[in-house]
Amino acid sequence: MGKGVVLVVDDEVQIRDILAFYLKRAGYQVLLAEHGLAALSEIAKVQPDLILSDLRMPEMPGDDLCLKLKGDPKTRDIYFILVSAIDGAASKIGGLNLGADDMIAKPFHAQEVMAKVESAFRLIAMQKEIKRQNLELTRYQERMTAELSLAAQLQMGLLPAVPGRAVGLCYTHRYLPAEGIGGDIYSIVPVPDGGTALLIADVSGHGVTAALISAMVKTSFEAQVRLGGTPLDWANGMNRDLAQTTLAEQFATAFLAHLDPKDGLFRYVVAGHERPILIPRGACTGSKLPIQLPGKGFMLGIDEALTFSEEQTTLAIGDRLILFTDGLVEVEREDRSLLGQEGLIRLCATLPANAEQAADQIIEQVCTFNAPQPFLDDVTLVVIDRCG
Amino acid sequence: MLNIQNRQEGTASIVTIQGKVNFEVTAQLRDVIRDTVTTQQPKLLVINLEGVNFIDSSGLGLLVAARNSIDKNNGKLHLCGLPPQVKKTFDQTNLTNYFSIFATEQDALRGA
Repeated sequence: MGKGVVLVVDDEVQIRDILAFYLKRAGYQVLLAEHGLAALSEIAKVQPDLILSDLRMPEMPGDDLCLKLKGDPKTRDIYFILVSAIDGAASKIGGLNLGADDMIAKPFHAQEVMAKVESAFRLIAMQKEIKRQNLELTRYQERMTAELSLAAQLQMGLLPAVPGRAVGLCYTHRYLPAEGIGGDIYSIVPVPDGGTALLIADVSGHGVTAALISAMVKTSFEAQVRLGGTPLDWANGMNRDLAQTTLAEQFATAFLAHLDPKDGLFRYVVAGHERPILIPRGACTGSKLPIQLPGKGFMLGIDEALTFSEEQTTLAIGDRLILFTDGLVEVEREDRSLLGQEGLIRLCATLPANAEQAADQIIEQVCTFNAPQPFLDDVTLVVIDRCG
Repeated sequence: MLNIQNRQEGTASIVTIQGKVNFEVTAQLRDVIRDTVTTQQPKLLVINLEGVNFIDSSGLGLLVAARNSIDKNNGKLHLCGLPPQVKKTFDQTNLTNYFSIFATEQDALRGA
């Protein structure tokens, strides 16, 4: 392996010979050309790492050769040293402006040329290494992007299909993860007692870790529901699961509920989550008076010993629930104000009866409020209508 | 965005936080709290939240983790100066009952 390939372009044979002698002695492979055109045909055969080119030559002078090579993506990375009889700053600047990487004034000392060549090759080696690393990074990034997009698709697959229907409920959602993949999750599943169980949860943090935990939260919830029991039992079980399996700072806020379709009894636990908004007769036409369900409690996963409390209300046919995660209402605008839960309650007073239109209207109005940057965190909105 | 200051008073360490505590700054805050707990091993760590205008779930998570790590060292964590917006977040997540919360830094230091 030689140290590299140098193309010497000069119309004077003696100069070509001298430079070739020194370069070969230093271990370089040397190519020779008597003018720019000949250089181009040499380059077409073997691409050199470095070109030492005279400025004034017949056929094609050095400046034209330089411009041509630097203008072509295939050859622009060849290190180009222009050797010019015209000394002085003006000429140097002119040469560098052409895109030449360095200049040598004629007459030159062979040692000076060799020193410049050696220094150029150190740069070339560095450039090659950077290019290699860049390529590696680009490939890595492409692989990660592809994997993330696959994971995002899988995560979407974990959400209930919408518009959906469960015993006593119809629902739809809008799910907008901040980084393609996120820590929000919700689930609506049948309960062995004939009722319907529902969950919305928001895992602290973003990205892959939060997404993994969100899948765990869903699995834990569904396992608890299969055991029967009440939302309070589910919250206790999930809290234990999460406290035992997640790291110190990983928690989930959650809202868990059970609907009895026979009498509309709706029992629920608020585990540090935004309390849902109840719109009585929200799925019907007419004026609306939304209220936020009462209740509070710890987030899931902080400490096994923490206790939760269960609340209850009744959902009549035609009532609507709006479940959401904080990403929807906690976007700070330039004037430092937030929509907040109060703002969302106000928006809920004017929603249309159709659930899909209602979901679109909320997202649209929140985006308008938050403009120019609508969302920073994962956003989940679920519209649930009590139906017969 | 986030301004964190750290001082000692007797056997107590006081960390004062100003700004918005969210996902982007938790790493910075975590380092300060961890360093304070490991190097100073305070009997009492007071975190003053007077200048905090917003805290999200990752910020809350960090405070919970801080309490747990101080518990392990047989120390105590007192929070103080919660502005209304932060107080609301604590109430909603019931964390008001999880932490020892004081109105002022003096109260937190006295533990009263």
